Amino acid sequence: MTDDAAAQPASNATNLEREGDIAADYLEALLDIADLDGDIDMDVEGSRAVVSIVGGDLSALVGDDGEVLDALQDLTRLAVTREMGERSRLMLDIAGFRAARRAELSAVGTQAAADAASRAEAVRLAPMTPFERKVVHDAVAAAGGRSESEGEEPQRRVVVLPPE
Amino acid sequence: MLEEALEHLVRGIVDNPDDVQVRTRSGRRGPGTTLEVRVNPSDMGRVIGKAGRTATSLRTVLGALAGSRAVRIDFLDVHER
Repeated sequence: MTDDAAAQPASNATNLEREGDIAADYLEALLDIADLDGDIDMDVEGSRAVVSIVGGDLSALVGDDGEVLDALQDLTRLAVTREMGERSRLMLDIAGFRAARRAELSAVGTQAAADAASRAEAVRLAPMTPFERKVVHDAVAAAGGRSESEGEEPQRRVVVLPPE
Repeated sequence: MLEEALEHLVRGIVDNPDDVQVRTRSGRRGPGTTLEVRVNPSDMGRVIGKAGRTATSLRTVLGALAGSRAVRIDFLDVHER
């Protein structure tokens, strides 16, 4: 994290805030047009802008397995990229879907670390997106375990290794 | 509402937002609604995206806003008829 911060230009925090502002304008207008209630929160997490839409019934904008949320995040990143001139890694959350998914994945990682230790064998998890795998790797590491990824996208998965 | 939503989403991601035109064509191709979006030829790549990814994202979001109604989106450049 320190290395990361040092490598970034000093204006980074300002840029991330600007990314959040552009994204919020784009999404706010969409909510208005679709007559959906929702408040937009902006945050910066590490080196990425996080924009969350909360309140109201937003399940349509999340979709099955977050499919609509991912599509909307994709479009929002493109809108931000067009304004900023550089690629955006902005994260969009709606109705706490990603936050809940992250907590769930964290629990999966913690449990897998415990299983790998008690069974003394590797635990192979279901295929996940890069973002999901990162959450799992972090949880395994926090539990004192080791993990790696194997396979090709979109079948790439986390393998939690037994203790050495 | 769908026309307006699509127009907004597309205008935000292209270099020539003033060239974006959206219209609805009903019932021409079976049940449901067909939205026709026209963009500047130089923006076609932007709205389609790598391997059609952006077009898919637009269809997914519009599908969600339409609820149970079937929606098709056709992408054309402003000169196509």
